[in-house]
Amino acid sequence: MTEPSSDDQLELQRKAKGKRPYYFSNPDVDKLLSMIMALTGELAIARDRIDTLERVAATKGLFSSEDIENFELNADALQARADRHRQLLREVNRIIVGELEDLEEANEEDYTAVVEQVEQDET
Amino acid sequence: MSAPYAEQNTHNALPKTNHDELSRQHFVRSFKEHIVESLHPGLKLAYEKRAKPQYVVKHQREPGTLQEVGEVMKQDQHYQAWSSLLRTSQEMMWSSTQIPVERAIADLAANATDNKLGSLTLNPQLGIPSYHTAVDIHCQPGGYHTEYIEGDVAQGAIYDRAVYLYAMGQMGSNNADMGDSTVAWLKQTQPEFSPSRILDMGCAVGHSTLPYATGYPAAEVHAIDVAAPMLRYAHARASAMGSAVHFSQQNAEHTQFEDESFDLVVSHILLHETSSVAIKNVIKECYRVLKPGGWMLHVETPPYGDMEPFDQFLFDWDSENNNEPFWRKSHQLDLDALARNAGFTSEVLQTMVPSAFQETQRTNTFQGGDFGGGGVWFVYGCQK
Repeated sequence: MTEPSSDDQLELQRKAKGKRPYYFSNPDVDKLLSMIMALTGELAIARDRIDTLERVAATKGLFSSEDIENFELNADALQARADRHRQLLREVNRIIVGELEDLEEANEEDYTAVVEQVEQDET
Repeated sequence: MSAPYAEQNTHNALPKTNHDELSRQHFVRSFKEHIVESLHPGLKLAYEKRAKPQYVVKHQREPGTLQEVGEVMKQDQHYQAWSSLLRTSQEMMWSSTQIPVERAIADLAANATDNKLGSLTLNPQLGIPSYHTAVDIHCQPGGYHTEYIEGDVAQGAIYDRAVYLYAMGQMGSNNADMGDSTVAWLKQTQPEFSPSRILDMGCAVGHSTLPYATGYPAAEVHAIDVAAPMLRYAHARASAMGSAVHFSQQNAEHTQFEDESFDLVVSHILLHETSSVAIKNVIKECYRVLKPGGWMLHVETPPYGDMEPFDQFLFDWDSENNNEPFWRKSHQLDLDALARNAGFTSEVLQTMVPSAFQETQRTNTFQGGDFGGGGVWFVYGCQK
C-alpha cells in the first residue's frame, strides 16, 4: 500500500487482471474501435460542458458567443489545456498501455487455466 | 412524454463527481443503452441469416449447443463488433467510475469511518480465495479486494456507482432490485415467516442487504464478504442510508457463526463468482448456520437448462468475455443434488421471481451486458 501525496497523485490499477479478448480477425480493429468510443465519450463530455456553459450564461445574462470568439488565452490557460490534452490521450490510448502492463507482468495466467481451475478444483 | 431521467439515489458515502466526471458516466450509460437497444437485436438476425445457414451447410443439422452456436457466431462480423463494443463499454464504465474515486480516495476513506449504525468487524488475516484473485471479476481493475491506502473504500465506492451504470438504472435507484424482489416474494409466499436473524453472504457494498433490514425491521441483519474495501464502504453506506447492519469480513464457505443461528440465509449473484468446491462449501455452510425451519435463498440469473442454444450462447458471453470464469459451469449445475449433498431434505426451490422495480423500458431478455433487463430473478433455495 502506498500513501498518496499532493505532488504525486495515487493512481488506481486501470487494467483488469485477466487476458483481454479480441473479436475481429485483426485485433487492431478492436483497438481502434475502443479508441473511437473513448473519443466519442470525451466529445460527448465536452459538448455537455459547452451546453452547460451556454445555459448558465444565458440564464445569468453573462456573455455571448462573440465574447468567446474574441477571448485571448494566456500562458497559464494554454498550459492547463496541454495538461488536459495529455490526460485525454492517456484515456484514449488506455488499451495500448494496458497491453504493455500485461507484457511487463510476464506471469499473467492464461484465462483458460483459470476457468479450469474454478471448474475442477475438486481435489 | 418520456419518463424523467432516472438517477441513482445519492448518500453521504457515494463519491462526489464534478461536471465532466458525471458527464463521462452518463455517456457510458448511453453507450450501454445503445448496445442493448440498437446492436443486440441484430445478433439474432445475423444468426438466422448468416451464421446458422453456414453451420447447416457444413454439418447438415442446426447447432445444438452453445459451443456449436459459438463456432459460427464468433466468425460473424456483427457479433464481433457487438462483442468488441460491449467489452469496451465495460472498460469505460470502470474507468469513468474510477476517476472521481482516484481523485478523492483519502477523503472517501476518512468519511467512511463516522458511522452511527450497525457494526464493522474486519479480519486482515482472512485469505482472499483464489477464485477472486485469479482474474479481476467482471473486469473491475483490482477486483473486490485491492486496497490502495489505509482504511481504503475505493473498490466499494467504484462498485456502487458502476453497478448503477451497468444496470442502466434497471435495478432501481439504490441498486436494490434483487433484495427488494426477494423480500417482496417472501412476504407474499411466506406471510407468516418472521426471521429474527438474517445473514447475507457475499454482500459487496450491501445493495441487496438493506432491503432485508427495512423489510424485517425487527430482525438482526448480518452481512459478510471477503473484501475489506467493500465492507468498509457497505457499513458507511448502510449507516448513511439509515440501516443498522452488522458487517464482517468472512468467507461464506466457512463462517464463524454458530450452528443453527439464523432464520434466513441469502446471497445475491454470489454463487457464480465462486468455484466448484466453494459452491458446495457455501451450501453446506448455509445448512449448518440455519435453524430448523429456516430458509436458504440464493438469487441468481436463470440456469441455461431451458434456454435455446442461441440464447445460452449470448447469455454465456460473460464467461469468456467479462472475467466470469465460473459463470458457465454455475449455470449448468445440478442444483437439487447440491442441496441434497449439503443435508437439505425438503423440496428444493427453483423459481423465477418478478422484479420489484417497475421499468417500462425493460428488454425482458437475459443477455450479455443487460443483466437487469430480464425483469425477473432466479431464486434457488430450500427450507431446513
